[in-house]
Amino acid sequence: MNDIKKKKTRLDRSFDKIRAREEAGLLKQSKMNRQLRKILNNRLAVGGFVIFSLILLASIFAPLICQYDPLAIDLKAVLQAPSADHILGTDRVGRDVFARIVYGGRISILVGLGSALGAALVGVSLGCYAGYKGGLIDGLFLRLSEIFMAFPQIILVLLLVSILGQSLINLIVIFIITGWGPMYRMTRARMLSLREEEYVQALKAFGLGTATITYKHILPNALGPVMVNITLSTAMFILQEAALSFLGLGVPLNIATWGNILNAAQELRILQESWWMWLPVGIVISLFVLSVNFIGDGLRDSTDPSQQG
Amino acid sequence: MLSYTIRRLMILVPMLIIISFFIYGGLELMPGDAVSYMINPEAAAELSPEKLDALRDSLGLNDPFIVRYAIWFKGVLKGDFGYSLSSGVPIRDIVFDRLPATLELSFIALILSSLFGSLLGFLSAIRKGSIADHSLTVIGMIGVSIPQFFFGLVAILIFALKLHWLPVGGRLMPEYVTYWDRFPHLVMPSLVLAATMTAGVMRYSRSSMLDSLNKDYIKTARSKGLPEWRVNLVHGFRVALTPVVVLVGFRLPTLIGGAVVIEQIFQWPGIGNEFITAVRGQNFPLVMMIALFSVTAVLIASFLVDLLTAVLDPRVKLS
Amino acid sequence: MGKIRTSLLSILMIFLAFGLWAGGQQASEPASDRQIEGLNSNPLSDYRVRQAIAYAIDMDTIAETLLEGKALAANSMVPNGPWKAEGLNSYSYDPEKAKSLLKEAGWVSSYTLDVVYYYGDQLTVDIMTAVQAYLGAVGIKMDFRKLEGDLGEQLWTNPSDPVNGPSYVKWDMAYAGSAALAMHEYYGKLPTNGPGNSHTPGNPAIDKLVAATKATANIVEQQKAFFALEEYVNEYLPLIPLYYQQLFIYESDRVNRNGGAYGNAQYNYDWGILDWTVEADSNGKHVLYTNTAPVEFFEHPWFNPGLNMANKVLFDRLIVADESLMAKEGQLASSFKVSDDSMEIEFTLADGAKWHDGSAITGDDIKWSIEYALKVPAIHSVFATTFKSIEGADAFVSGSADSISGIEVKGSKVKVTFATLDPNMLLTFSQFPPLPKKYFENSDPLQFQQNSFWQRPVGSGPFQIKTVEMNDYTVAVPFESYYGGTAKIDEIVMYPSGENDTNVIKNASAGKLDYGFTKSVADVKALEAMDNMRVIPVDIPYTRLFYVNKFPKP
Repeated sequence: MNDIKKKKTRLDRSFDKIRAREEAGLLKQSKMNRQLRKILNNRLAVGGFVIFSLILLASIFAPLICQYDPLAIDLKAVLQAPSADHILGTDRVGRDVFARIVYGGRISILVGLGSALGAALVGVSLGCYAGYKGGLIDGLFLRLSEIFMAFPQIILVLLLVSILGQSLINLIVIFIITGWGPMYRMTRARMLSLREEEYVQALKAFGLGTATITYKHILPNALGPVMVNITLSTAMFILQEAALSFLGLGVPLNIATWGNILNAAQELRILQESWWMWLPVGIVISLFVLSVNFIGDGLRDSTDPSQQG
Repeated sequence: MLSYTIRRLMILVPMLIIISFFIYGGLELMPGDAVSYMINPEAAAELSPEKLDALRDSLGLNDPFIVRYAIWFKGVLKGDFGYSLSSGVPIRDIVFDRLPATLELSFIALILSSLFGSLLGFLSAIRKGSIADHSLTVIGMIGVSIPQFFFGLVAILIFALKLHWLPVGGRLMPEYVTYWDRFPHLVMPSLVLAATMTAGVMRYSRSSMLDSLNKDYIKTARSKGLPEWRVNLVHGFRVALTPVVVLVGFRLPTLIGGAVVIEQIFQWPGIGNEFITAVRGQNFPLVMMIALFSVTAVLIASFLVDLLTAVLDPRVKLS
Repeated sequence: MGKIRTSLLSILMIFLAFGLWAGGQQASEPASDRQIEGLNSNPLSDYRVRQAIAYAIDMDTIAETLLEGKALAANSMVPNGPWKAEGLNSYSYDPEKAKSLLKEAGWVSSYTLDVVYYYGDQLTVDIMTAVQAYLGAVGIKMDFRKLEGDLGEQLWTNPSDPVNGPSYVKWDMAYAGSAALAMHEYYGKLPTNGPGNSHTPGNPAIDKLVAATKATANIVEQQKAFFALEEYVNEYLPLIPLYYQQLFIYESDRVNRNGGAYGNAQYNYDWGILDWTVEADSNGKHVLYTNTAPVEFFEHPWFNPGLNMANKVLFDRLIVADESLMAKEGQLASSFKVSDDSMEIEFTLADGAKWHDGSAITGDDIKWSIEYALKVPAIHSVFATTFKSIEGADAFVSGSADSISGIEVKGSKVKVTFATLDPNMLLTFSQFPPLPKKYFENSDPLQFQQNSFWQRPVGSGPFQIKTVEMNDYTVAVPFESYYGGTAKIDEIVMYPSGENDTNVIKNASAGKLDYGFTKSVADVKALEAMDNMRVIPVDIPYTRLFYVNKFPKP
């Protein structure tokens, strides 16, 4: 057979190079998971992860890095500008703003992450089961999720807040109620296609129970988008907590959350004169949400096989 | 197509009935009622409980839940949306009064954000990996990460209080005859709203553009030797626009009730503002109607979006 | 979350240990228990505990810092002035004394006070936080929470047994404000089964003291009775006064009152609005910008007679009050005559007094207004007391009479005869605005506020409504046929921002607020910092306090 004369394209050249390396034994089998590798290649996602971890760790180890109790008031030192004593100044009752931001992170992250995980737990477990089983249950939950998703998010949240009342737990419950729908539909959709796969048919033939098949064998294959959704929901819930605080319907004011701290900026005098009371916390919220979004984006890129990075 | 339309509209009705029942039942669980918000608690002590009870009676608040729901439902069927418990004004008037304010805000924000968002997203997708793309991505990301009210407050601080370029808030002023008169009032709220939305649209249109550039038919188009701009614009953009249209289509109805925060910051007398007042005052009939109104808008919009998707993207078949 | 809980827990433990130390030192049964009046299972029924709470809170520091020096620590419900008894104990900050009182009373340190409030602002939370810290320092644990829902019910429901309880309400202390139009309002909740007495067990001593203040229309006698009551309350603290709030009137430099007085802006007094002037704008128009425009409806003036600008300028009263709210002279009534025993008052309506629709204001309108007011669910309690004291009011309310026999209308004269003495009768007539009868005929008084009249009211005052854009703005212009002359301001433009919201500062710094008043100390500081605004502090009867629940708890 004659060699077909062909102009070498750039792609050919690069493949040639790869082949050369492979033949020379230079191309090592990566020990890392391919998805992890892809995330690590995404500088934004890595940066996001670093910021995320920093803020998270700071909140977890708050007592170690704060010299002040976030609840301890000091009426002799109110509204002080940042100084060596209080690196981010003090608020209207003389509490250390830095300590409040760090401790406030605990609650805000709890609300954001907790609600997102809660919504995922509800949405995914229902979605898995109903998506696999189909039938009446599936139809029921599908309609229910449609009903919840028909509301503009903030309208539904406001309604629920006024029905259930303001408290930390209630807020998380409310976010779960408003957030499970999309998770459910996503998982269900994934389930519908996965359940037709041959390995599922095989498992079924082996006589494995529904729960085992769905949660142990199918679910791991559907987790990618779920993770993406959890991160993005976390960001959204943190922003919503802040918005609710602004409307006076968030976590009760005596609990320090980022939203409640930032809320001080509503007072024009604080906004104009005491920047340390709102700017740092505003930056922290934005940074945290930003980092979570970057992570979410990185996760999405890495789990989506159609986008080669 | 026609049977699909009819089927979808048929589902809408029972859905709305169920939702209305849910909301009504939910409101029932709230502690207190409208009367408890009509009177300042500092003075409430002096009022005789009998009189308050009589007021509850006359407003129909003492009837059992099911009876009230039935009365309300019958009214709605007859086109009577009831009256605001606090002011006695027909709810239809209130909604029609507030709707223009909300719509003008939403429309401007929506148009600006779709225009800029899809354009920037498109540019950033075809220049994927460039510095422009990266910075747009980061800026867009920052845009969706800043709390909306924080953004709004800082905007007020800078443009209204420091620079005195724009009014701090409000919509109408006496002697504002022409639209141009009130234009300055519209600038800040609509821009702040648009800015936060642009980021979302941009991200969305970038990824859907990338998605469509990866599709086989694009590769086909390219392999046919079509010029790059034609491939991008005609084949890529048109298909990539579909999800953007979906996003935008979903945004409008959400904005009708959902611009609550912006409306609050800028004292914009729209539906969102009214909703907050109604919820705080437990003005049931008003809460019901605004919630139902926005739900209806969302449902109808999602239906229209489906239709539009089918028109825009030839691969989609309605079923 | 776990961490915050542990740190909270450790704080609590410290308090607990502290409390045990403080509490453990006392003898198991204080000998004086038997002599404490009204002692029951609720530790707060012991007045020494209440005194300890008063001593433990450093109100002066709170006033100086949180309240920015714009409030005064209170030692009585009654504000400083002629009505205040002398030599009252101020309960100045003394944590040691508080501790020893608690010890004496046998305070159980494991008890946690449940403190409630209903204001949604940050300042209230800050004050609660401060109080919590102060009480913690003397060994009293306290939690605070914001009440939601039917506040009236949760705050003021009387117990079914007004002497022995248990209380219907669940709280230990309620942070509240008491804004009195008449001095009597301050202590109205204290008597046995008094309206809104959810917290104080029936006590003949209090009943007697309160009754004495109402028994006479003679000012000197009344003052004496008040002094006695104040001293009792000061000693036993059935309620714990915290601070006196001031009211702050602000005006832009465009406005000139031309000698008009400054007074309690929450009510109506002769402030000389007809003579006010405002600098002309670029169109040569004299426009006064203010706030408190209606959002959904004009709030009717029978509950808050002068809180909103509209209620002040749209309506006139029979009598006009001076800046200290004492009756000054006739207004809608060109003159009035009170009998020597204060049991009769006769008004002569002003010539040419007209409603804004051009029709004359008649004696019938006055009579109808009083009668109708008695059927409206929420009217000011001072008005209600006055009207119920009129002869034949009982029969009218119960339905056995079609009208109140004690009100006689003869031409332009209206005579009101009282069945019981009401010391605040003149106050009522200087705040209560009559309304035009014809707009309310065949309407349900229960839904008074829901009447379409309140979308665009027709009043009797110096200004009338020109335009209403609900939630946008309201414009009032001088009423040309006003019997008292025509105002010099061309227009009053009102924005729908409330008395205490952030828009006050926004609008003021944008130069769109010429007059208003506020009680928010933060706003005052900001307003004072503006070159174009001046702030005039006014002493008002407004006392913030803790109501203390002394009933056994359910």
